[in-house]
Amino acid sequence: MDGVEPTRTDGSIDESDESAAAGRVDDGNGGTGDASDLGGEGLVLGYPNAEEPVVDGESIAAEPGAVTALVGPNGSGKSTLLKGLANQLAPEAGSVVLDGRDVHAMDTKALARKLGLLSQESTSPNGITVEDLVYHGRYPHRGFFERTTEEDVSAVERAVELAGCDHLRDREVGSLSGGQKQLAWIAMVLAQDTDVLLLDEPTTFLDLHHQMEVMEIIETLRDESDVTVVVVLHDIEQAARLADRMVALKDGEIRARGPPEAVVTEELLADVFRVDAEVVATDRGPRVTPIRARHGK
Amino acid sequence: MSGEGSAVDGESTVGGEAARGRSTDRSPIGWLLDAKLVTVALGSLAVVAAAGLVQVSFGAYSMTVGQAWRAVLDPAVLLDPRWLLNFVVGEELMRAITGFHGELPELTSETLIVWNIRLPRVLVGVLVGANLAVSGAIFQAVTRNELASPFILGVSSGAGLAILLTLVVFGSLSAFLPLIAAFGGSMAFLIVYAIAWKNGTSPVRLVLAGVIVGTVFGSLQTALFFFADDIGVVQSAIAWTTGSLTGTDWEQVRLALPWTLVAVTLSVAGSRQLNLLLLGEGTAKSLGMSIEKVRFALSGVAVLAAAASIAVAGIVGFVGLIVPHMVRNLVGSDYKRLIVGCLFVGPALMVGADVGARLGMSVITGADAQVPVGIVTGLVGGPYFLYLMRKQQHMGEI
Repeated sequence: MDGVEPTRTDGSIDESDESAAAGRVDDGNGGTGDASDLGGEGLVLGYPNAEEPVVDGESIAAEPGAVTALVGPNGSGKSTLLKGLANQLAPEAGSVVLDGRDVHAMDTKALARKLGLLSQESTSPNGITVEDLVYHGRYPHRGFFERTTEEDVSAVERAVELAGCDHLRDREVGSLSGGQKQLAWIAMVLAQDTDVLLLDEPTTFLDLHHQMEVMEIIETLRDESDVTVVVVLHDIEQAARLADRMVALKDGEIRARGPPEAVVTEELLADVFRVDAEVVATDRGPRVTPIRARHGK
Repeated sequence: MSGEGSAVDGESTVGGEAARGRSTDRSPIGWLLDAKLVTVALGSLAVVAAAGLVQVSFGAYSMTVGQAWRAVLDPAVLLDPRWLLNFVVGEELMRAITGFHGELPELTSETLIVWNIRLPRVLVGVLVGANLAVSGAIFQAVTRNELASPFILGVSSGAGLAILLTLVVFGSLSAFLPLIAAFGGSMAFLIVYAIAWKNGTSPVRLVLAGVIVGTVFGSLQTALFFFADDIGVVQSAIAWTTGSLTGTDWEQVRLALPWTLVAVTLSVAGSRQLNLLLLGEGTAKSLGMSIEKVRFALSGVAVLAAAASIAVAGIVGFVGLIVPHMVRNLVGSDYKRLIVGCLFVGPALMVGADVGARLGMSVITGADAQVPVGIVTGLVGGPYFLYLMRKQQHMGEI
């Protein structure tokens, strides 16, 4: 299976690729130009019991090696679109292509070695430690009878360090606060060591400190690695600050896409979020001050 | 949080060192040396040894504990491969392996009674207990429900129906009863799976399908009791459907042992998949697990283990339900340790309960009668479950 993995521009195949990825995280200059490409073409996504699809014929491309943020009001189809990109939801029409291959046709483990997903609701059993949880992230890299390798250990160490949960590693996941839990889950997807990372509302329900922790992790990924990140965010200011590109959805339709300054405008806020707001450009990206909700159409 | 920055830093260095030290624990057997697991294993072995000793000492032919010990450790058997093979694999195979054609050396009557009658019953108890416990542990992960038992997906009702059909309708086939019972259980499991399947399965649909099949098969089973005109047939049917070790000997050991080894090996090998299933379907899928294949394969292993125990002891309730619970409380929910713990605690409970089943009646009433061991496990298991229910806030989801 590994033999048919598409080779990268540097010619290395999957196995050595992981150490290459490791090097990339540490080298600190990033942008070597071999980031993964993820895009959806004409996606129609819905749920079995609903008549109307949630997302009806949209195309989206994640900027390789950069952070793409999906924003939009509740029920706009952000999470559905992300699930479609992650192959968690089979599209009724259209296809998702990762580095030139249809994700639906890929072997599930091979896909999980290239694409990681952090879902919104993650449940864990009691009595599992953070370290055990993070080791589960290595699942797609191991065969049925394979044991923990040096590579697994170093990937886990790296992930734990990057997620900043070294001090939590022996704690039981069930005993952690919501913010600490999220860091543990992020460490797990980081240990998966993928080229593409999809995060579904990673900051929602977290206190400010942990929101910033999560944002910093994503910033580190953006600045110091070639990981292609697609993140669904509730907070439009946060999204603007974090993302290289933004995609705004409403009613399952993409209403705007582009760099944050182009997307976060007073017109878009009125159209997509139905609020009157003031947008001021600052060094840290646009600052949004919502003024009032718009009623009616 | 910022106020405790230095403390956190100090902690993290310590944590880092501990982790480096501990990463050796991820070696193939390092995790087995977990203090709690070792304690559980040794405690269970002590229970099995004590209960086993009671079983071999007492009975119609009475002997002292010392005599029983000497019979168990009789060098005339232990140091004679011919006798050992004669017991474990049977006389024919022993002769084929050793090429020995003469008469086996004489044994004392104590040794003969212990080795021929009492010891194999203890061994069957060990196998049944281990199988049921492992099977229950697997089903609890597959359905993500702590209240799942080996019989949750229709195995017991299928086996029960097959037993009744054999005893009442196809009496001539009763020699094959163990195999027919195991087969009936497996068939019911497949029917449950087929009913639950709709673009894939889910834990809830599997459990509901199990209830449906259980209800229908249970009714058919009860209906068949009406056609049984012989009290012997009814008693035999009750013994099978409540689970009994009465009259088991080396033949049952030979029947169950190979399947037990297969099921146990596969379940230990599958423990990482079981752990991942506990993280939920979404996470397991995003980590690249082919969830339907894994779920079916693991259920198949659990059914194999349950069928092996049904074939030799009938449908023994509660062991598969409470043993994984007890072990989880003792060693935590990591399935590698949980499965290994089940391999010890299951036999301890089963062999212990069988002491009550075999000797309890004669102690209480003085009557020389045995009850099916399933009655004792139910009497022990019910109150334990009540205790758990009172103690734990959350029962149900793992």
